[in-house]
Amino acid sequence: MFIHYIDLAWRSLKRTPIVSLLMLLAIAIGIGITMTSLSVYHMMSVNPMQHKDEQIFAVQLRTMDQDASWWTVDNLPHQLTYQDAMNLRQSPVPFRQTAMLKTGFGVKPDNANIAPFMEVARAADSDFFAMFEVPFAHGGPWDKRIDLQGETVAVIGAEMNRKLFGGGNNVGKDIVLDSVAYRVVGILADWKLEPQIYDLNNGAWGNNEQLFIPFSLLPIEELKSWGNNNGWKYEEQKTYQDKLNSEVVWLQYRVELTDKQMQQDYRDYLAGYIKQQQQLGRFNRDDAQGDIKYISQWLDYREVVSDDNKVLVGLSFMFLAVCLANILSLLLAKFLKRAPEIGVRRALGASKTQVFMQHLVEVGMLGLAGGVLGLAIAQLGLHLLRSGFSRYEQVAQMDLTMWLAAPTISILACLLAGCYPAWKVCRTTPALYLKTQ
Amino acid sequence: MSELRPIFNALMRGKTGALLLIMQVAVTLAIVSNAAFIINDRLTYLHQETGLQDQNLFRFNLYTFGKQVDIRQQQEVDETLLRNIPGVADAVVINQVPLSGSGDSTSFNLKPSPQQSQSERAAFFMADEHLLNTLGVKLEEGRNFTAADVVYSQYYDKNAAVALVTRQFIDGLFPAGDGLGQTMYLGDIPLKIIGIVAPMKGPWLKDEKPDNVVLIPQVEGVAFKRVLVRTEAGRRDEVMQQVASVLLASESERVVSNIKGVDELLATYNSQDKLMSNMLLVLICVLLLVTALGISGLALFNVGRRTRQIGTRRALGAKKSDILRYFLLENSLVSISGMILGSILALAMSDVLMRHYSLPRLDNWFILYSLCGIYLMGMLAVYWPALRAAQIAPSIATRNV
Repeated sequence: MFIHYIDLAWRSLKRTPIVSLLMLLAIAIGIGITMTSLSVYHMMSVNPMQHKDEQIFAVQLRTMDQDASWWTVDNLPHQLTYQDAMNLRQSPVPFRQTAMLKTGFGVKPDNANIAPFMEVARAADSDFFAMFEVPFAHGGPWDKRIDLQGETVAVIGAEMNRKLFGGGNNVGKDIVLDSVAYRVVGILADWKLEPQIYDLNNGAWGNNEQLFIPFSLLPIEELKSWGNNNGWKYEEQKTYQDKLNSEVVWLQYRVELTDKQMQQDYRDYLAGYIKQQQQLGRFNRDDAQGDIKYISQWLDYREVVSDDNKVLVGLSFMFLAVCLANILSLLLAKFLKRAPEIGVRRALGASKTQVFMQHLVEVGMLGLAGGVLGLAIAQLGLHLLRSGFSRYEQVAQMDLTMWLAAPTISILACLLAGCYPAWKVCRTTPALYLKTQ
Repeated sequence: MSELRPIFNALMRGKTGALLLIMQVAVTLAIVSNAAFIINDRLTYLHQETGLQDQNLFRFNLYTFGKQVDIRQQQEVDETLLRNIPGVADAVVINQVPLSGSGDSTSFNLKPSPQQSQSERAAFFMADEHLLNTLGVKLEEGRNFTAADVVYSQYYDKNAAVALVTRQFIDGLFPAGDGLGQTMYLGDIPLKIIGIVAPMKGPWLKDEKPDNVVLIPQVEGVAFKRVLVRTEAGRRDEVMQQVASVLLASESERVVSNIKGVDELLATYNSQDKLMSNMLLVLICVLLLVTALGISGLALFNVGRRTRQIGTRRALGAKKSDILRYFLLENSLVSISGMILGSILALAMSDVLMRHYSLPRLDNWFILYSLCGIYLMGMLAVYWPALRAAQIAPSIATRNV
């Protein structure tokens, strides 16, 4: 019976080619536009560590004095000062924790054929790798002992390994960063963590570092900040030590708290820490407090998905609604014009349900075709996005969910639009039309 | 006007179709007016005057290895080398690049810290006496830096004593307008304002005060430097290609990286806005097309359905123009109802966008513009089907189907 309906639908669509084409175009364009903006939104709102979402937390402290305020919605700086980072590192509560700095070096390869280059690096604690599940191809993180003492060791990414050594296991070899030799202790497998949840300050996409060094090297090698440095009062900074002692926030801090009890303990720990610091004369304000936010809270808080993207998705769906209204009115006109024919079919014994189903199948076919064509349009749209805006290379993509979503949305939308016309036509009174024939 | 009644009656008979069309026009108007307004807002932002010749400016980073090289002396050599490349107008080692989206800003005060006083935040550029010429910005009042004003510091052990500022900045700090020649403080460092420069933007166009700029004649000796170069019009590409080889030939223990035009940096900084306006423009065009096709298609159908009725009217003496007018009027009636509803919808939508998505309030003129555009489009869309209706021969009424 279904095959028969498909056959009927095909004939019906062929009989009014222009109207069929108009409807097909309307749904295809609607789906194409909607899927383009929805795909970007979907890729941007992805949480790369969903399985540890409520376990990894960003740590914030309201460190400013009473009269100073921050521009964030909750009046909390995104980053920490060096002294706070060093103090928090001593907390026994978290399962894992890491302080971080975005830095960088001039890299001078041994091989004279490779020109020296600048490379961004991340100073972190050894827990970083396990916390963010960074895969190693060779070696591993540096020893926990180095987190305390500082030693010139490095973990390099797969790409960097190919660039410097042509690939392979090069653990134990030295690389020269800013004229200082660092011993390679680990080489990563190919790895991507996007959006870059451990540091969203300088863009969320395409920034995963290829070079990692111990955070404990900060005072030893006087590592420069390649990220954001924000102060709230004037402080003289003549030496690196001045910066370490300052109230400038420039470091990221993440903790892994595996259960509710540990999270509560850490909140209590932060409250205690603030009290202790206040006794030492810092945090001069009534509402000094610490806060921890887990990954999806952090992504939301830092507005990784911009308002523009949300507005675009909203407008696209409104646009799709217009397309549907368009199709609905065309279907209504088309089906009603066919009422005499339906009258004959009804008189010959077709039930209302059968007539209804027959029309829904026709609409569904339209939806499927529109969805497929819409996918093609969306692909074109995403291609244009990628070529015109290099920033969108990572997010102007369609994953499997979106590939399946396109025809699903299309068919559902068409069925929705087709229900009323199909219902209207199946209620045709046979006698009325038999008379005029 | 007597024609309106039968049209209205006919519409009421096919209520659903008419209602759908009204809704379609209404939503189209709401989307188009809001989208057009956002586009206009973004285009105004994107095409604003920066006061800088971004197509002739480029920047690069220079990192020197090892401590054997005298960084200060090498800098003098480098600047001379760069300024001697044919096509280069001027070049400086600078702390930050205008329009690049990254840099430093700080507060300048009327009194030295820790005293509390009037304060104004500004982006600050630090370079030698070639700074103003490299930026290509004119001096409006006072005097420019001279070589004697320039201070070479190491870990900020010495500080410059003078500064140039933009008018927006100085009027913020000295609202009385008597700022030229006065002293302001960066922390406890006094800076005498010796000149006012033509309007120019700092590193961030989206800053609260993008026009607040302070220029300071100071060069800090660091291993990692930014260099800004202005070339003669049309010669930037050729200069950009030579820079690395010229500098490395003089001293090879270093890296020249990130050679990029300032307009390119600005485009990256603004890519989200460009994308938004492009996407919305596509959305508007396609939406209008779909709505127009919908109106056309429906009208065509109605003409087909009413063939006999039209033939009868013609046979009873209606002129072709009467038939044409009937369809145009019918469409007007639907369009106008849709537009009234659409205007309300547009305002409601703008309200939501403003409250939840930090967009400015819709300028009502944009509803009017969109209204006219959509009405015109609707008329055009219905014209061809109406013309076909007018061609229906009166004899059709007498024939049997």
